Amino acid sequence: MNALLLLNSLEGFFFGSGKAHVVTGVALIILVGIAVSLWRMDRRLGQLEKESRPDQH
Amino acid sequence: MKGGWNWFWKGGSILLLAYVVIRGFSAPLQPGLVSASPSQLSVAPQSVLLSAVGQPFANPGDLPSAFQVVLRSGDQLIKTEVTEVSPHSVRITLDVPPTMPSRALDAYLFTPAAGTLFLGNACFVESAAKGDVPPAFGATAPSPQEPQLGFSFPYQPNIMESIRNLLWHVPMWFAMFFIMGLGFVASLAQLRTDSVDWDMRAEAAVKTGLVFGLLGLATGSLWARWTWGAWWVSDPQLNGALVTVLLYSGYLILRAAMGDDDRVGRLAAVYNVFAFVMLVVLLMVLPRYTESLHPGKDGNPGFNSYDLDNSLRAVFYPAVIGWGALCYWMYTLRLRMNRCAHHLLSR
Repeated sequence: MNALLLLNSLEGFFFGSGKAHVVTGVALIILVGIAVSLWRMDRRLGQLEKESRPDQH
Repeated sequence: MKGGWNWFWKGGSILLLAYVVIRGFSAPLQPGLVSASPSQLSVAPQSVLLSAVGQPFANPGDLPSAFQVVLRSGDQLIKTEVTEVSPHSVRITLDVPPTMPSRALDAYLFTPAAGTLFLGNACFVESAAKGDVPPAFGATAPSPQEPQLGFSFPYQPNIMESIRNLLWHVPMWFAMFFIMGLGFVASLAQLRTDSVDWDMRAEAAVKTGLVFGLLGLATGSLWARWTWGAWWVSDPQLNGALVTVLLYSGYLILRAAMGDDDRVGRLAAVYNVFAFVMLVVLLMVLPRYTESLHPGKDGNPGFNSYDLDNSLRAVFYPAVIGWGALCYWMYTLRLRMNRCAHHLLSR
């Protein structure tokens, strides 16, 4: 892979190829997906806890 | 109030990780020399092109006289003349001396804006004889200038752009240590009190920690492929990490194998205490006493000792907090699921 970096111009493989923006975008989408699924799970668990143990809420 | 604080740290962990992703992938890499062409020199006047990656170290209109290159042979310096400069390369001419202490030459490029760039073993002079560099070929080192680069990550040979993985791989292992530590405490408390709740805490911690352990292995393997050229090498640190993950998988297998046996809590707690001790031994103790490619181990300094600079720290520390908080959030969810399941089953 380092050889690829050298062949692919010396302007910098990561930024020169525009891949940095794609990687950032994909990582952010995954992060938002994780956050939404955890948040939904958290809320559902809260409801379940209220239903199963109403005396504690 | 409690609900507000809960959402504050949970949302905060996601915001911190979003910052890490954006900042971590948008910060440019500082310039670094990667090659000299030709790298095989003979004892004669020569022209050599030194090439760099990362941020530009020169502007298009810069004069060659603003840059200096010296080659080092052993503890002696050889003078060169910079004839051409571009944003990512310099061309030098030099008279290769007939005698020098070492046939391998290191290159130092002194720049006004990017400080000093270094390339070890840049060139090799097969035909040179052993001896001192004659005075006519010698040079004195220019005084290094302070780099004036903006927010950027340090350049490290071999690691290069993959230094960004530091923001993923290392915090994931830290998160795993943290949560396995919680599991260890929970197991000790379970052994002392025989409480089902402590057992559920330990189980939730191990399950969450295993996720982060597997992520740590995956990101480490990817990093190894880039820097060492193989997905996996037989290294004490890597093997220790794999054995640790397998040990903790054994914890889950033990629980599953015992089913509803009343003794499962205590046996699992004993196993978990053993697994945590092995984690400390395999990941923190043994690799320090053996040769390892991994940074921070014997003969191989960690990032913190020389190149975890302020730019990297500004993203690395939020990454540690962010991944740690996300891991703890997942742990609390798993624990609440365990408690709900236990409550429903015991009705």
